[in-house]
Amino acid sequence: MISAPYLEVAVLVLGTVILLIESFFSKFDRRYLGYAALVGLALIFLATFFIAPQSTMSSAPFWNFYSADATSLFFKRIALATTAGVIVMMFDFAALVSSGVQGATPQSGLGEFFALPLFTCAGLMWMASAIDFVLIFVSLELVTISFYVLVGFTRRNPASLEAAVKYLVLSAVATGFLVYGITWIFGATGETNLQKIATVLSGTGLEQNAALFGGVLVIIALGFKIAAVPFHIWVADVYQGAPTPVTAYLSVGSKAAGFIVLLRVLDPFLILPQMQTLLVAIAVLTLIYGNLAALPQTNVKRLLAYSSIAHAGYLLVAVVSFSGRAVAFYLVAYLLMTLLSFAVLILVSQPAGDQLESFAGLSQRSPFLAFAMLVAMASLAGVPFTAGFLGKFLVFDAAIATHHFGLVVVAIVTVGAGFYYYFKVVRAIYWDAPPASTDKIIVSPLTRVALIALIAGTFVLGVYPQPIFDALAR
Amino acid sequence: MPSFLFWLFAGVMLIFGALVIINRNPIASALSLVVCFLGLAALFMSLDAFFIGIIQVLVYAGAVMVLFLFIIMLLDLRAEERRTMNWVAFTGGFVVAVSLLVQILAVISRTQMAKQTFPPLASPQTDDVRNVGLLLFGHYNLPFQVIGVLILVATVGVIVLSKRQLR
Repeated sequence: MISAPYLEVAVLVLGTVILLIESFFSKFDRRYLGYAALVGLALIFLATFFIAPQSTMSSAPFWNFYSADATSLFFKRIALATTAGVIVMMFDFAALVSSGVQGATPQSGLGEFFALPLFTCAGLMWMASAIDFVLIFVSLELVTISFYVLVGFTRRNPASLEAAVKYLVLSAVATGFLVYGITWIFGATGETNLQKIATVLSGTGLEQNAALFGGVLVIIALGFKIAAVPFHIWVADVYQGAPTPVTAYLSVGSKAAGFIVLLRVLDPFLILPQMQTLLVAIAVLTLIYGNLAALPQTNVKRLLAYSSIAHAGYLLVAVVSFSGRAVAFYLVAYLLMTLLSFAVLILVSQPAGDQLESFAGLSQRSPFLAFAMLVAMASLAGVPFTAGFLGKFLVFDAAIATHHFGLVVVAIVTVGAGFYYYFKVVRAIYWDAPPASTDKIIVSPLTRVALIALIAGTFVLGVYPQPIFDALAR
Repeated sequence: MPSFLFWLFAGVMLIFGALVIINRNPIASALSLVVCFLGLAALFMSLDAFFIGIIQVLVYAGAVMVLFLFIIMLLDLRAEERRTMNWVAFTGGFVVAVSLLVQILAVISRTQMAKQTFPPLASPQTDDVRNVGLLLFGHYNLPFQVIGVLILVATVGVIVLSKRQLR
């Protein structure tokens, strides 16, 4: 049996070792570092199934900050799986890291490219366990700062640089709101620990206005992380400009960690009715804006960016319905289908770019990739027998159980809009004629295995979700 | 501390904080920021938080500002002076800022805590550094370690983003 905090330590050691090998040995293929990272992440993922229960050692001040309950373990697994998926994508993206750089070899800069996601992963895992505002803030900053670097990693590409600057500035503003909100909550309750804040909030003689104001400011900051409207302005440009594996990481990892923190922070606050109204409003705006803005997009990366906003809306519906189970399942489904679509996008866009036209006739150039994208789009849209459908079903079920009928109506209408823009991609793949001079796309064995696993996961969870519920209920 | 000193330093901070964004010349902005930080340090000292006050001067007014001035040296100052005011953005930002201010004032006016008078502080504790250290390495050890990782990542990131030649 392993104690839970060692998981993050193991990820850190893995990242540091890779950085050290990268700097002290020069004559070897940098891709081995990526393989090492993958193997390490897989071992740590296995280790999450052998975690000792928390109760044996929960007296030290450490456990005021850190929780090792089933939910946090579950989100740690999401973080590990996402990071592994992103590193697999980085192999396919590697050629673009050094493109356009004078005097660069194909190996240039790859060592850091493989090492940095590991530190981000450690930050995401700490966020999953954080039950104190101090640790929430610090680990959120670790994640954000490593994302600044990753988004701007191909800085010779003006789009990547622009994305990095936009992300840096807006993210700094969001951080400012987070700190300010935390100070208001601390001022009103005198605590930073979420459980103690809950105790104070449920008591009498409380400065409710001050605490509520702090809570709203914290929601603004977290709304930025999960890409909810009206804190979404950065999403489309940053997603489009960032290196594609990093976009996938932002879209899945950052969002998952944002939602676990949101769930934990809202736990004490959701008893207040004003907070409910506010979140319902944010959810409605996010659903409508994300789905409508995705309709006219012709760039697949931008389309996925707006779809990521739309999915934040469905997740928020689950949050206001108090259903942690629906949030967790939806995030797993979202992980599978988003990683799948971005992995296909990397392979398809390498010669031709991110535009929808480069998908034209993909079914003839690579039937396997065409099928993978079909599954991803069907699941994102919510076709039955895919994980995406079951995720939406659970969300709507929870919303109906808590009598949010208006929300459900908005959500179902927007799902209809979703079918239109997701199947625009499918139509390009299967019905549009391919450009005259295109050759077959080569899929490396590693990517092929990863894609097959993601497709299988999408179908299995679409009909048999029980393993997820078991993992949550441990 | 006499309350007029509080008003003095708070006023200095507000005026120079405003000057940071009003000044068109980046060097004048940076120097206004130094004065603003000094006012903040003085406010910390007045709350008997001597250690934080001194760190504020050393780290922010000292190290961070030197860094700012170095970066400004590398920029083209003329470009900033040539920029014209974007009135749409200005109005939008102004409305947002004012509504946030109104919101904050409304919350403060309804907060009972803000109306009570606090008793004077106990005699200043001189083992400030020891207390901060004990808290940092004892109760707040985990967040402190995470900050260590954060700084490592920031260091790696700065090198990756700034080196001229990829290796």
